[in-house]
Amino acid sequence: MPPTAGTVRVLGADPAALSGRERRRLRARVGTVHQALELVGRLRVVHDVNAGRLAQWSAARAAWSLVRPQGLPEVLAALERVGLADRAFERTERLSGGQRQRVAIARLLVQEPDLVLADEPASALDPVLADRVLALLGEPALARGGALVTALHDPGLVRRHCGRVVGLAEGRVVLDRPVAALSASDLAEFYGAAM
Amino acid sequence: MGARRVARSGGPEAQSLLPPLSRRALLAGAGVALAAAVTGCGGPAAPTSPGPLRVGAIPDQDPEVLQRLYGAVADALSGALDVEVEYTPVTDYAAAVSLFRTGDLDLVWFGGLTGVQARLQTPGAEPVAQRDIDQAFTSVFVVNAATGLAPSDDLTALALLRFTYGSETSTSGRLMPAWFLREAGVDPQGFPGGPGFSGSHDATLALVASGSYQAGVLNAQVWRSRTEGGAVDPAVVRYAETPPYSDYHWLLGPRAAERTGVPDLRDRLLDFFSGLPAGSPVLELFGAGAFVPVQASDHDRIEEIGRDLGLVS
Amino acid sequence: MTAVLDRAAAPPVLRRDRRRWAWGVGAAAVLLWSLAGAGLFSGDVVNPGGTAQFGRFASAALSPALDAQFLGVLARSALVTVAYAAAGTALALLLGAAGAALVSRTTWGRRRAGWLAARGVLAVPRGLHEAVWGLLLVNVLGLDPWVGVLAIGLPYGAVTAKVFADLVDEVPRGAYRALRAAGAGRPAAALYGLLPPAAGGLLSYALYRLECAVRSAVVLGMVGAGGLGYQLALSFASLRWEQVWSAVYALSLLCLVADVAGRAVRRRLAAPPPSSRRDPVLTATVAGTVVLVGWSCWYLALSPASLVSERTAAQLAHVWGAAWPPATDGDLLRTIGVLAVDTVQMSVVAIAVALLGAVLLAGPAARPAGRSSSGRRVVGALVRGGLLLLRAVPPPVWALVLLFVLMPGVLPGALALGVYTLGVLGRLAAEATEELDPRPRAALTALGARPVGAWLYGVLPLAAGPVLAYALYRWEVAIRDTVLVGLLGAGGLGALLASELATFDWAAATTVLAAVVVLTWLVDLVSDRARAALR
Repeated sequence: MPPTAGTVRVLGADPAALSGRERRRLRARVGTVHQALELVGRLRVVHDVNAGRLAQWSAARAAWSLVRPQGLPEVLAALERVGLADRAFERTERLSGGQRQRVAIARLLVQEPDLVLADEPASALDPVLADRVLALLGEPALARGGALVTALHDPGLVRRHCGRVVGLAEGRVVLDRPVAALSASDLAEFYGAAM
Repeated sequence: MGARRVARSGGPEAQSLLPPLSRRALLAGAGVALAAAVTGCGGPAAPTSPGPLRVGAIPDQDPEVLQRLYGAVADALSGALDVEVEYTPVTDYAAAVSLFRTGDLDLVWFGGLTGVQARLQTPGAEPVAQRDIDQAFTSVFVVNAATGLAPSDDLTALALLRFTYGSETSTSGRLMPAWFLREAGVDPQGFPGGPGFSGSHDATLALVASGSYQAGVLNAQVWRSRTEGGAVDPAVVRYAETPPYSDYHWLLGPRAAERTGVPDLRDRLLDFFSGLPAGSPVLELFGAGAFVPVQASDHDRIEEIGRDLGLVS
Repeated sequence: MTAVLDRAAAPPVLRRDRRRWAWGVGAAAVLLWSLAGAGLFSGDVVNPGGTAQFGRFASAALSPALDAQFLGVLARSALVTVAYAAAGTALALLLGAAGAALVSRTTWGRRRAGWLAARGVLAVPRGLHEAVWGLLLVNVLGLDPWVGVLAIGLPYGAVTAKVFADLVDEVPRGAYRALRAAGAGRPAAALYGLLPPAAGGLLSYALYRLECAVRSAVVLGMVGAGGLGYQLALSFASLRWEQVWSAVYALSLLCLVADVAGRAVRRRLAAPPPSSRRDPVLTATVAGTVVLVGWSCWYLALSPASLVSERTAAQLAHVWGAAWPPATDGDLLRTIGVLAVDTVQMSVVAIAVALLGAVLLAGPAARPAGRSSSGRRVVGALVRGGLLLLRAVPPPVWALVLLFVLMPGVLPGALALGVYTLGVLGRLAAEATEELDPRPRAALTALGARPVGAWLYGVLPLAAGPVLAYALYRWEVAIRDTVLVGLLGAGGLGALLASELATFDWAAATTVLAAVVVLTWLVDLVSDRARAALR
């Protein structure tokens, strides 16, 4: 979707100006999590995780992997880190909502993106798990000097996991400062404005 | 009520022959009595007013032309006999035989074998007339040019080729060729992969032209008309022709005279057909010089062969 | 939760679902066996010499006969075809509604034996093709228009009964149980508790049947019941391809109208407008259908009296007397056994071809959700139009033109059925694809997957289930359709049946028909098991 005005820059490039191949390469560097809705329930967990590497794989390898899973050690390692290594060969649809979300994160781990976009990754989780998930989400990008961009509603999580906070209300930036400098009054004012 | 049949057959006359009022009357419920009167025609109660003569034909050669031009035959018949005549085209050999048996068709242009089948199933049915050419009809064996076979009377060379007949109960496309093949010592069911049944003489020509079947057999009349019309693919070569046999004929149903109210219907039909002047459109349509009388016994040989080959039971 | 996260897991192993694995291996083996039976691994199957004949058929598609007289004939024939389709469907729905009550689990409750017996009875009318019904009925009813109406109504009625019963059985039981508990009788409770929730599905299925009935009416025409099929058969017998194509286009148009109307109604049913009033579109559809059926009965001059007339009874007695008892001589039974194998192989090859084609074409044929480029829309319309033509050309025509370019045997018939079934299955697969959740595929594209990769991981796993289920369902239909191809000469049990009917050997024909019914029933059983394994 081209912007109606101005330009969009992602990791230093303007997606609208790129060729198909270059754009695909750019996409491979950006990981996204949408509340686990992007998973394919009929696939086994291992394939759903491996789907993170489709940008690198040829069509033939992608097809063969559905028969004989490729790069199994990396997949198992990623699943190990989200605590689902023992479920690798189950169908994703048999997993609970929280488990599926962790499968989505495992996909992100094998994708190794430079930038992670996560839409309310903590909304369906209990507080302990939410912390755990956010820590995992940040890892793949941070390890390569990239960034995690995430939408959160819980200021506590923001303070613990983020470096910079941007508040949006009705499409405008109304708050933008380092988390360290975030004060209680900022928050009160922001939520007041957002109401 | 013939209108109903015309509607079924979808012929061009569908509209004109069917008074809308009768349909509405049917819908209103009065049709029950009407229909009972009509469908009861096969029963003991004779209808008070004479019904139309129902003429049918089996689709052997160019059924498409038959359908367009049979109107001419019906008109000529109607004028000569002074009875209403309805033409019903039928697409299927077996259906024509069955409809003759059920009394839905009174006068049918049958092939030799189907005529025998219909006569055996319908006691009292009588052959009326046949064309001059039907007294000595023949079939033509054709081969694909790639076989390299030169015309010959030796049918044994065909035994090793992929071979197709026409329609399964066609006299000229199946029965008689099969008989002459057997006479020549060739198993009529024994070609490589078994014989094919193309369904029509034109399909036989096209299949032999394609080479899918290397040889086939068809009605000599169709072969001549297609050759003269230049419609035969050069890949199809005439190989042999069968000895003559008796083929097509008009067969009249047992209840027709009573139903149409013409007691001497058979004689008058014979008079009509044999009295057609040379060059009449009916003769032209049938590709004949004249119609001649025919007896049931003229087809005894066909019946015998049919029984022999398991086509008449 | 933490405990789970930190647990040291034993290394997992890939365990295949044994049942599905067995079905997959079995299907592959049967396919190989069928291809071998079709002669694919032994000698030449293609006949390049026939390309000119095939080309004549294909190029005529671009120059259909358009003279006014022929078009007039076609227009009137189309009316007959529509009348047969509408009257036949109406009868099927009546029979189906009555039959559904007899075969639904709700009626039988725990009496499983009774339920199985009722379903078994339905397998008989369902196992015979409409064309076979037509040929049988001509012998009893002669030229009466009931032949065409019954030939569509009886087999369709049996299928409809089964589908209606399944639809009603799938409705959640809560409301029905509550009504029963409150003292309502079974029929009343079903009327209030089961029918309303199932009504949408029932109506939608009824419209789908109407479109199928148009195609069936054409096939019936080919065996002599009038209408478009009759014109098509006439032109086909003398190989006038230009006229054949005109008839095919006319039929496509009818199918298209039925399809578009059905789609509009289905969409209305899926998302009813937010209003408590009756939906005017649906009301108009139902009213229009009733008017159409009334017109059809009037146009065909259907009269109930001819069904019970003396002549009908006499002819029925004649046919029954000739057909019973069935022939049981060893030669015939052996031949039936051999040809039954041919028939199964033919149907398997047909379904495999159709499935492969459907999987490849479903993507382009599906209407993309949301906006799409005009090029994509043109391709979609072309593919959908192509599928429509594939199913509008009757299988016997396909069989002959494929015989031009293939060596004689099981293969041309199998491919003819395959091409025709592809027309039906491709459309069903495209619809299944349209209904898929688009998000997984979008997510894969977003992470940089190639289109093929996104399709393999985001579409195929989701579409495979429904498309395979449709294919298995069509397999049973294909068994019946092999009879149709055979009737016009392409091998299998159909060829045998055609020859028994042509020689009026009724006793043998009865045996062959019984064999077809049993075969259909067995295939239904296997395909039902396979569908269960897919779930």
